[in-house]
Amino acid sequence: MSPGVTGIQVSWLLPLTVFVPWLGALVVLAAGRAGRLRTGLAIAFAAADAVLAVLLIPLASDRVGFSLTIGGVFGELSLQPDGFGVFLAAVAAVIGGLAVVFSVDYLRGEEGQGRYYALVLFFIGAMVGLVLSANLLMVVIFWEITALCSWALISFNNDDPKAVAGGIKALIVTGLGGVGLLAGSLAIYAQVGSFDIPTFMARANGFPPRLLAWIGFGFLAAAAAKSAQFPFQTWLPDAMEAPTPISALIHAATMVNAGVYLLARFSPVFSGVPGWSLSVLAVGAVSAFIAATMAAVANDLKRVLAWSTVSQLGFMVYAIGAGAVFQSQFHLLSHSVFKALLFLAAGAVIHSVGTRDMRSMGGLSRKMPLTCAVFIIGSLALAGIPPVNGFWSKEMILGAGLTRGPFWAYIIMLVTVGLTALYTLRCVWMVFFAPAEDRHVHEAGPAMKVALIPLAIGSLVTWLLAGPFQALLERTLPLHFPAAVADSGGLKGTWAIASEVLTAPSTWIALGVVALGAFLWTVRSPFKGIGARLRPVRRAAEAGYGFEAINRGIMRGVQGMGEGLRSTQSGLLNWNVAAIVMAVIAVLCAVWLVAGQGG
Amino acid sequence: MISQWPSWIWMIALPIVTSPFIYLLGRLFQRARDASELKQRLQGRAQRKPWRANPVRWVSLAVMLASCVPFVAAWRELADGASLQFTVGIVALKFDGISLLLSAAVLVLGVLVSIFSGPYIGHESGQEKYHALLNAMIGAMLGLGCAADLFNLWVWFETAAIASYMLVAYHSDRAASLEAGMKYLVQNSVGSMLVLIGIGLVFSQTGTLNLAQLRTAIAAGTGSRPLLLASGALFCVGFGVKIAMVPMHTWLPDAHSQAPSGISAMLSGVVIETGLVALLRALSVLADLSSAWGAILLAFGAVNMIVGNLLALRQTQVKRLLAFSSLTHVGYMLLGLGFAVSFGQLEGAQGGVFHLLTHAAMKGLAFLAAGSLLFALRVARGDSGPLEAADLAGAARRYPVTALALTVALLGLGGLPPLGGFMSKWQIFASGVRTGSPVAIALVVFAVLNSLLSLAYYAPLVSMMYRKAPSDVVTSGAAIPTGMTVPLVLLVLVVVALGVWPALANGLTVPAGQVVLSIFSRQGGM
Repeated sequence: MSPGVTGIQVSWLLPLTVFVPWLGALVVLAAGRAGRLRTGLAIAFAAADAVLAVLLIPLASDRVGFSLTIGGVFGELSLQPDGFGVFLAAVAAVIGGLAVVFSVDYLRGEEGQGRYYALVLFFIGAMVGLVLSANLLMVVIFWEITALCSWALISFNNDDPKAVAGGIKALIVTGLGGVGLLAGSLAIYAQVGSFDIPTFMARANGFPPRLLAWIGFGFLAAAAAKSAQFPFQTWLPDAMEAPTPISALIHAATMVNAGVYLLARFSPVFSGVPGWSLSVLAVGAVSAFIAATMAAVANDLKRVLAWSTVSQLGFMVYAIGAGAVFQSQFHLLSHSVFKALLFLAAGAVIHSVGTRDMRSMGGLSRKMPLTCAVFIIGSLALAGIPPVNGFWSKEMILGAGLTRGPFWAYIIMLVTVGLTALYTLRCVWMVFFAPAEDRHVHEAGPAMKVALIPLAIGSLVTWLLAGPFQALLERTLPLHFPAAVADSGGLKGTWAIASEVLTAPSTWIALGVVALGAFLWTVRSPFKGIGARLRPVRRAAEAGYGFEAINRGIMRGVQGMGEGLRSTQSGLLNWNVAAIVMAVIAVLCAVWLVAGQGG
Repeated sequence: MISQWPSWIWMIALPIVTSPFIYLLGRLFQRARDASELKQRLQGRAQRKPWRANPVRWVSLAVMLASCVPFVAAWRELADGASLQFTVGIVALKFDGISLLLSAAVLVLGVLVSIFSGPYIGHESGQEKYHALLNAMIGAMLGLGCAADLFNLWVWFETAAIASYMLVAYHSDRAASLEAGMKYLVQNSVGSMLVLIGIGLVFSQTGTLNLAQLRTAIAAGTGSRPLLLASGALFCVGFGVKIAMVPMHTWLPDAHSQAPSGISAMLSGVVIETGLVALLRALSVLADLSSAWGAILLAFGAVNMIVGNLLALRQTQVKRLLAFSSLTHVGYMLLGLGFAVSFGQLEGAQGGVFHLLTHAAMKGLAFLAAGSLLFALRVARGDSGPLEAADLAGAARRYPVTALALTVALLGLGGLPPLGGFMSKWQIFASGVRTGSPVAIALVVFAVLNSLLSLAYYAPLVSMMYRKAPSDVVTSGAAIPTGMTVPLVLLVLVVVALGVWPALANGLTVPAGQVVLSIFSRQGGM
């Protein structure tokens, strides 16, 4: 293939991958109330986008592939098919597409499906646009659009006040972090005069160090908020009010990946900022640990999975802090596949049982054998048990953490690994094997199975892609991987990585901890006494370690201010005119004072 | 003599001159209809054929559309680089970038409101007054945009204000509406007096009122500095009443929520912004005197943002909530213009006027959409109560287009992409950061946080509309006439288009931004 042909293909594939889902959203909305047509269209557009995104992978390069100038402060719409971009776009489109397919059974008979599918497609397109953008303004725009979509989808069931509150919480909390991205982007614009990301990356060395530090920590705040990392983790469990395929979408395909992407994308620039890498690492480690403890005490199936997402994202963030960008992205890939699988399987369970409380589940292994089997595969990956994909990527992160990160953080991560095994086992046992009374339960529907089976297979095999994936990143991201090994790639690369993992001491330590965690859960009765003594910790974990209280406090404070201010609006004309007169006096004084100082 | 008038004068003259005739026509038609009905009733005959609707709405719309023709011509001329000035008697008029932008906003919103108002007040008896006053108000605002001397600026503003007082109190049989009109009248008159005193001070010190001459004279050091500074302070507060700068805003929530919805859209979308233009013009003559003006704009901007948000946060009436959110949006505009005046940021000036445009479209859309729902849920059933947030429950199923329009408006006001509000705010924020001043950057961060806070009251409204269980009023609601939906669809397209391709507005915002910057550029070194 000549470079010219590739250029042409890229220049139309890129915008198509971003905008085909958006077009699909409009078409789905326009299809009105024609139910089956609408569903078919949604699946067709999602599938088309998945194909486009996969086609883009072999065309990855380190150059901007598409550009459209808007001008001035609005920059340009430029898209770049580098390794991060094509990989995450494929994840968003493929897993998003499977979530769409799954929704067919999940939403059967529900109202508002047009809005639902349109928003899902809009969401996928925004995520694809976010990761492919080579322009900070576009990143900010797509970033905010993902927030908009997540809000609309989390509160899809608007009649439920909890869903509405959860949606707004997601919008506000991620928006709060987004201030860092917005301000940082504007600061870059003020310094460079353009929003072009490659330009910024190339010229960041010339930035005043303090400014670069502000930008770096602003981006970190934005990423932490989006990826539900400490101290912004509170929105993710409340987002569980969403329909379950949306949870899969948010947790695996879109939204939370954006934060990790942002950190990975800009890590070469900010790693020079004193304290930045360590902060990233600490945020990741703390998030991973506290989320794991919360997952271990939660009784809501979706909450367990939500906290496990926070915890696994913590692993990725920790890896970036330790300078292991490839490992973090590879874990992102594994996590996307197995977490989508877990959520969709959980969705099948919830759809069938009608509750999310694990205490009223149990004994489902015989009634939903397929769901049970795929859920166990996903759980093995989550717990990091070989040979499932989560094992390989997690071990790679731990290996890198042991050699490149501080030792205390490694210990935290190791404890988290044990906790992960514990809560995963607890979850599987409570849902599928705990003794329960007999009741009517049906197996997942056909469309659900269509979505579950590829994901289960994916969880088993995606680790084989390690070599080609590493080669893809190294080929297209010279700034992130300056010391690329030329002949890595293909299955040979995978073999090299696999043997490295298998011979690393950290792998065996971690496997030991996993076994310990599993053992602790299996023979839990002798430890009841310790459990009782840990009750305060348990209660703190259930209450989200006080972060919920902080959120509520801020909310009440703002509302109280609003209420207080309202009482000053007496509506009495005399007071209103008095306010005008006082304003005259104040402004006069101000003007004369400034003038007195020679202004 | 009249044949020598440039065509753009007709843009201003047409609505004002025809306004009394519109009233007369509507009145005569109404009387003829009443007489005919009375006659039929006296003769004991059943009504044969109902009279057609009062044609006044169509005449009014035609006049406004006719005004657009000279506007487009003037736009073309201005693009060619011609400076358009005209003096009739002692009234000096000048058509520049600011006039262009303001006229565009006023005319577009005016036409759409006129279309909307046809069915909205079509069943009421005083509609000829409504349309005549709407035309007069629009003409006066167009004139204000072109005013080139200080006193005329004031006269145009008062003309528009007088028309708007009566429009706010249009439903004169309702106590709440009269109260709102009364407060609006009294407080705005206080503001007008302050401005008038300021103008008097300037005249006493310089002996001229022409804006260009004034600027030169004051830059040369004519007049007593403290007195001129005092006049600037009076302009700020006096026009500040009209712009609804906090704490002079107290008339606004009543007036904007009690007015008929079309008028709410005009008041919030363009009338308070007209005050902003007037303030800029008036302050610009004092630009050389002090560096305080930009700081004053920024300070009021910051206060407006937070107070507007906090007050809107606890509102349950939709129109009142929208009225309070206008305070916040004026705050954003003040911020952009403040960056322009304080730091000479062209982007700030462009952003400020761009936000004027997008806000006109978004807030106009919001009030018209809320008005449609108010009409369907209450007005059409003879209920004069307010539209409560809880009334919106389930509105999306019954009125999908209207609900979508209100959603777009609210999310746009909340600053979410890909809608116009995001882009104009972005331009303001970018200009603030570009100044490099820590205070400006802090203000930008404060503004972004405010924008976020505003979502806390916009988003629940949207959620409410997309509920499945409808409220009682929605279940028994009337149909929305097509005439009220057409302006909504057009405005949605504008809001989305400006969000997707903000450069569309460059033809308006770039000239206006340049004018703002040039009238505030210092001529003499102080």
